[in-house]
Amino acid sequence: MGDLGEPQEVRFAFDFYPLQGPEHTRIWRFFQHLKEGRLTTTKCTACGVLLWQPRVVCPACNGDALEWVDLPPTGRLFAFTAVYAGAPLGLERDVPFVVAVVELDGSPVKVVARVDGATYEDLRIGDPVSLKVVELQDGRVWFRFFRVRR
Amino acid sequence: MRKVAIVGTGLTKWGVRGATYKELVQETGKDLFDDVPNLDKKRVDSLFVGSALVDRLAFQAYPAPIVAEQLGLAPTRMAMRTEMACVSGQSAIRVAYASIASGLSDLAVVVGAEKMNIPSMPEIQASMACVLDREWDGVNGLNAPPYFALVAQRHMHEYGTTEEQLAEVSVKNHDYAATNPYAHFPKRVTREKVLGSAKIAPPLKLLDCSGITDGAAAVLMTHADAAKEYTDTPVFIEGLGQSLSGSLVVNLESLTTWLPLRRAASEAFRMAGVTIHDIDLAETHDCFTISEIMEYEDLGLCAKGDGGTFVMEGQSRIGGEFPTNLRGGLLGCGHPLGATGVAQAIEVTRQFKGQVPPERSVGGEWGLCHNLSGNANNHAVMILHRGG
Repeated sequence: MGDLGEPQEVRFAFDFYPLQGPEHTRIWRFFQHLKEGRLTTTKCTACGVLLWQPRVVCPACNGDALEWVDLPPTGRLFAFTAVYAGAPLGLERDVPFVVAVVELDGSPVKVVARVDGATYEDLRIGDPVSLKVVELQDGRVWFRFFRVRR
Repeated sequence: MRKVAIVGTGLTKWGVRGATYKELVQETGKDLFDDVPNLDKKRVDSLFVGSALVDRLAFQAYPAPIVAEQLGLAPTRMAMRTEMACVSGQSAIRVAYASIASGLSDLAVVVGAEKMNIPSMPEIQASMACVLDREWDGVNGLNAPPYFALVAQRHMHEYGTTEEQLAEVSVKNHDYAATNPYAHFPKRVTREKVLGSAKIAPPLKLLDCSGITDGAAAVLMTHADAAKEYTDTPVFIEGLGQSLSGSLVVNLESLTTWLPLRRAASEAFRMAGVTIHDIDLAETHDCFTISEIMEYEDLGLCAKGDGGTFVMEGQSRIGGEFPTNLRGGLLGCGHPLGATGVAQAIEVTRQFKGQVPPERSVGGEWGLCHNLSGNANNHAVMILHRGG
């Protein structure tokens, strides 16, 4: 049979991680802050609403003057599980990994994130965790947490 | 507003099928058109297609014209795809209802179809993860099983629900699936087998999860004045409700109380003029075992937190207070996303018409269908009544 010259490797046009520079997104500062080790979000300067995820327009008052505020880098597990099977493309080699809802200390904000350094069996609801920034091969960044000893 | 009826039904065998999206559509169309021999297809003026992931898993956008051609239809009034992830099927019925009730359409075919199985499981799972917010939830490896695992863990933490109670939902629904030749998993399972099945996302195990399933389902719908042209036993849609709230997991009103379900059910019951206690059989969205337990609670069948006891007492089996998922549910039939909501309505319709095997036949007068999607941020409820 003839060779049609099909590509040997099929790559996703998108992966799961957001495109992060100012040429792609108006919340590029979020990713810049992450590179500095800071987890941040936006707060509306008109009505004071603090929301996760960062926005460019306030859905409460329609204002578009939003400021960056720091979120606490520590929190506690509100709920967690571990992915043993059925991980999405790109993450299938990471199994098992823990994913959790983290309540940030002293903040109304909760975030979903992976938790490193622990198995499902190691963890309990309420366990303390601390922010960790991870860097992708292409220079993009993302956030996870790691378990702090009880 | 005109009264609207389901006057014909069609299903395919569900499973890991050696059949494409278009072939599944042809099969369900054959079953539907065989069911309504009086139908002149030229009179079908509208077509609604519930397909959620056809763009990604069949690599095919814009499916409505494809479905029309496969079925030999050329709708002249309303044609569209409805996409609401796992609620795509009931959404298609809901839009057909609105179109017929308002007089924009007279005779509509509704198709729910999904080709889920492709050679790469990680790609299937990536497509499922995109049903959640890809940038902030899916990116963390969250898709359906781990999300519903978080729900199950919180429900166990807050109310003392047990893994044995979760398993009983799977046992019940597989018992009924064993009576259903269309089901993907028509085999009984024991509680021990569920508890010992492979770890997926603890506390959920393989048999706590609905399957990755190919399948299609179709109904013919028209207004009350025309219904008797197609069947002696039309089934009328008497109430509908839908409620959507939130997208990101952390912005949901609650993980363990489905307030959108409460609102959707309340609206559907108000419209139908009946209560939950009038319902003879229900199809509820058991995508995971925890889901069905929470549905008993948030439909108001038992106190919050008592859903596990409700299933252990047999209240959701035939002979109990609220026979639920008699076709085998998503756990027993599998879950081809857009097809599920249509197949739920078909089960109620075929129950009313005495077209199901005697082991699971309850007949009845009032039926309820419940479909949820995403991270349970959207719920749709429909109340059906046996006409005549």
